[in-house]
Amino acid sequence: MKTRRSTKIIIYLFLLLYSITTLFPFLWMVAASFKTSGAIFEIPPKLIPDLLFKEGMWSNYIEVLTEHNFLKYLGNSLFISTVASLGQLLTCSLAAFAFARMEFKGKNIIFAVLIAMMMIPVEVTIIPEFLMFSSINWLNTYLPLIVPSLLVGSFGTFMLREFYQSIPSSLVDAAIMDGAKPFQIYRRIFLPLSKAPLATLFIIAFMNNWNDILRPVLYINSPEKRTVTLGLTEFQSLYSTDWNLLLTASVIAIIPMIIIFIVAQKYIIEGMVNSGIKG
Amino acid sequence: MKKWIGMTVLFVFVIGFLAACGNNSDEGRADSAANAGSKDDKEASASEAINLTYFSWDPSMEETNSALIEKFEEAHPGVTIELQSYEPTDYWPKVSAMAASGNAPDVLDMSSGYVDEWASKDLLLNLQEYIDADLNEADYFTDVFNAVRYPDKENGDMYAFPYAWVSTVLFYNKDMFDEAGLEYPTNEWTWDEFLNASQELTIDTNDDGNTDQYGFWFYGRYAQIEPWIYQNNGDILNEDKTEFVVDANGKEALKFLTDLTTEHKVSPRPKDVEGTNQQDLFPTGKVAMWVDGSWNIANNRDIIGDAFDWDIATVPRGNNWSEDVTYGWPDNIAISKTTKHADMAWEFVKFMTGEERSVEEFAGGKVPIYKATAESEAWLENDQKPANKSIILEQGELIGRNSYTPGWSEWRGYGAAEGSGMNGEIDQVLDGVKTFDEALESLTPYANDVLERAN
Amino acid sequence: MQYFKKSAYLFLLPTIIGLLLFRLIPVIFAFFTSFTDWDIYSPPVWIGLENYTRIFQSGEFWQILRNTLLFTAIYTVGVCIIGLFFAMLLNQRLKGIKFFRSLFFLPVITSIVAVGIIWNWILSPQNGILNILLDKIFNLQEPISWLGDPDYALIALALVYIWKSVGYQMLIFLAGLQNIPTELQEAAQMDGANKWKVFTKVTLPLLTPTIFFVLVITIIESFHTFGITHSMTQGGPYNATNTLSYFIYQNAFVHFNMGYASSLSFVLFILILVITWINFLYRKKWVNY
Repeated sequence: MKTRRSTKIIIYLFLLLYSITTLFPFLWMVAASFKTSGAIFEIPPKLIPDLLFKEGMWSNYIEVLTEHNFLKYLGNSLFISTVASLGQLLTCSLAAFAFARMEFKGKNIIFAVLIAMMMIPVEVTIIPEFLMFSSINWLNTYLPLIVPSLLVGSFGTFMLREFYQSIPSSLVDAAIMDGAKPFQIYRRIFLPLSKAPLATLFIIAFMNNWNDILRPVLYINSPEKRTVTLGLTEFQSLYSTDWNLLLTASVIAIIPMIIIFIVAQKYIIEGMVNSGIKG
Repeated sequence: MKKWIGMTVLFVFVIGFLAACGNNSDEGRADSAANAGSKDDKEASASEAINLTYFSWDPSMEETNSALIEKFEEAHPGVTIELQSYEPTDYWPKVSAMAASGNAPDVLDMSSGYVDEWASKDLLLNLQEYIDADLNEADYFTDVFNAVRYPDKENGDMYAFPYAWVSTVLFYNKDMFDEAGLEYPTNEWTWDEFLNASQELTIDTNDDGNTDQYGFWFYGRYAQIEPWIYQNNGDILNEDKTEFVVDANGKEALKFLTDLTTEHKVSPRPKDVEGTNQQDLFPTGKVAMWVDGSWNIANNRDIIGDAFDWDIATVPRGNNWSEDVTYGWPDNIAISKTTKHADMAWEFVKFMTGEERSVEEFAGGKVPIYKATAESEAWLENDQKPANKSIILEQGELIGRNSYTPGWSEWRGYGAAEGSGMNGEIDQVLDGVKTFDEALESLTPYANDVLERAN
Repeated sequence: MQYFKKSAYLFLLPTIIGLLLFRLIPVIFAFFTSFTDWDIYSPPVWIGLENYTRIFQSGEFWQILRNTLLFTAIYTVGVCIIGLFFAMLLNQRLKGIKFFRSLFFLPVITSIVAVGIIWNWILSPQNGILNILLDKIFNLQEPISWLGDPDYALIALALVYIWKSVGYQMLIFLAGLQNIPTELQEAAQMDGANKWKVFTKVTLPLLTPTIFFVLVITIIESFHTFGITHSMTQGGPYNATNTLSYFIYQNAFVHFNMGYASSLSFVLFILILVITWINFLYRKKWVNY
């Protein structure tokens, strides 16, 4: 498909305009990490930080990384989010395959319950959940942060189910004629075809695990087990907030997400190139 | 099919492994604790190993707290204190959940607003006997002790022990007063004098019809409203704090305040300054006067720097003033009823609230409960603004009233619920959405409904 | 074509274990607490239907429900349409498109604290860039307090939410678009269909499963928004931006009325359930598989 030149210009213009609104807050956040606390609330906000190329330019970063154990927190969060999200890719794709392509008793009920679980606010289930994990001695471990999220993902299952339903039956029929078992169909046809949605799901699952704050607050006690989100709360206190340190730590906290987004995006594109589905 | 069995086994294995991890780490901890204990036994006399958990709501004090704890542990061999700090919005869900699961921390920071509720649920240890036996009351600002008494605020027993207290003061911008040729506020200022100054200080500097500098700033926040009511000898609650009734003097104070915005226009409407941190209006030089908690001294110093000269005074006296009453409260440390080492926990609380706690931990307007520390040159900081910092100490003898009750955050409208309750109703009057009478009419049944349920 | 196989349960094993142990147990527990007075730190006290009758008798609830429904309508429509539009744009084979994709996703990862500070400034009545622009174009009589005036606050807040999270929906639409074989579109164009026709006759029908999914998920999500409300308006001015999810948070962790919060959650649950159920009922009418 060819795009006309004038259309191209209009598209670029639009892309540029909107990018300003998305870029400005982000750049400001980065700039704030090179500011003194008094300069954060300047009006109008400035993108050129007051510490730039001056002595103490990196002082916020040094304080966050040395006085607060942020490298350790990054490692902890990385471990939790990676395990939970990879696990979710596996369990959600398995479940989605069953929901999309198999017939079994209780299918609609199980699916309905799965979706319904998304509708109840976590604020009211978190304390019962805490009491449950407390009774089986899972407190101060990563298990409550990983295991439930690894086993069941309503969002992911639902999303993959929609994609799997749109895969042409002719492909599946042919495989069955060749004598393929359900697991082989799942592995050889569905998994490779769903690279784009799987990569998307990974980004979303990773971010959800990464940004979770309520569970780490409740379940983690030891300072050395803290996650990044818990680390971010170290800059707030009873009567004040260290805004410059908080924003510096926020910048550090999103670096892994940027990397993951860039890497995963490659797979979203590949998904397009490889899916030679015939309708 | 084989693959399936393999998968299932793998899965069960993974879960089992993870579960085992959980148990192992628990056992591991128990082991190391036991080891530590036996080592202590050999090394340090016959005293048994004691582990106490202390929950703090102030992550910014983690360092100083740890240093104090180290000192305490040195003085008490065999005792280990595990410190955990959470900022207030995380702190309360965390301690509540811990208490619900039967694992409440042995020692915990306790807000004056929550003492009654936690004591009434039998969660806090009665400290009165310890206090009577161990402490010389003359060493402390005892006037703030009432806030932690239960069930009766005058004669009840103390269920927590203060480590610091705060009060409310009038902040004023000296440069603006000088420019307008006005005398600085005194501690005997009346409403008329205050209103007059506010009007003089409300200025449209560039004559464009919009006010550029306001004489005063306030909205429905508790620390900005109640001080005026108490300085007019009024109240918004009945004697035993079970009912919301604004008495005549209270009503007069509220009317005087809301008129400042709606009639005299010497204070901006909340919607005019939306998007600016409310505590930054005074230090950024948008307003000449402001009433709020003494802890704002720290934020003011940060933001003002050398931009202008400023100071503090007591809150102006109302028409029905009879004696100075300061709105203030202590921040406290409490002991869980479930602790196994009540005596040692008390030793720790005593240590954390006494003379060992150094003055550096009380930045700005937080006052140490221990008098000798508070009255030291180091706390008064004569080399820094505000010059009148010592008036806060005088207020320590006056702190009489606060509006804390069970359900306070809900009927008062506080923090993350600031838009509701009394705070929201007052803001509606200031923004011109409701009249004063309408607001009071809808607030009274709402607040009483909350109080009835909470009591 | 679907397959009748017992092995389906093996595929579902982890999900079913997880559902039963880690999701259903807390939900059932929460359901019971909705009939109690519970402050979390001490044991719940059974009070029967009192929480529920209180919900429907309080004027506060009805105001918040109205806010919630209005918010959901603005947010869902905004996010779905803008998300689809951006995805279409970013699906073009243009130079540097990958770069723009990352830029458009930036708000999703920008810290909520920074988003709050910057948008507070953009929407501020004094010196706010939006008011300055509007004043230049329309000559405003009086500056508009976007977040301080109850007439505008909810809409302004919903727009910030849309800006912050539309990157997600865009990403899912993009994945859906990438899954549509380009041969189909090219074939249609060879047959002489113009771009608009290709879009409405080929692309859109093939994208309906994704649209359906995004719609259902976005509606559910719109009822659970929290972060930006917390960092920007805290439900104010005077409850004008308070929605059910934020009200539930206030009751659970500010006022510690966990029983009341639970009952509110189940009212919210029924509301979402009905809307989602209607969505699934009408799916066959417009979704292509």
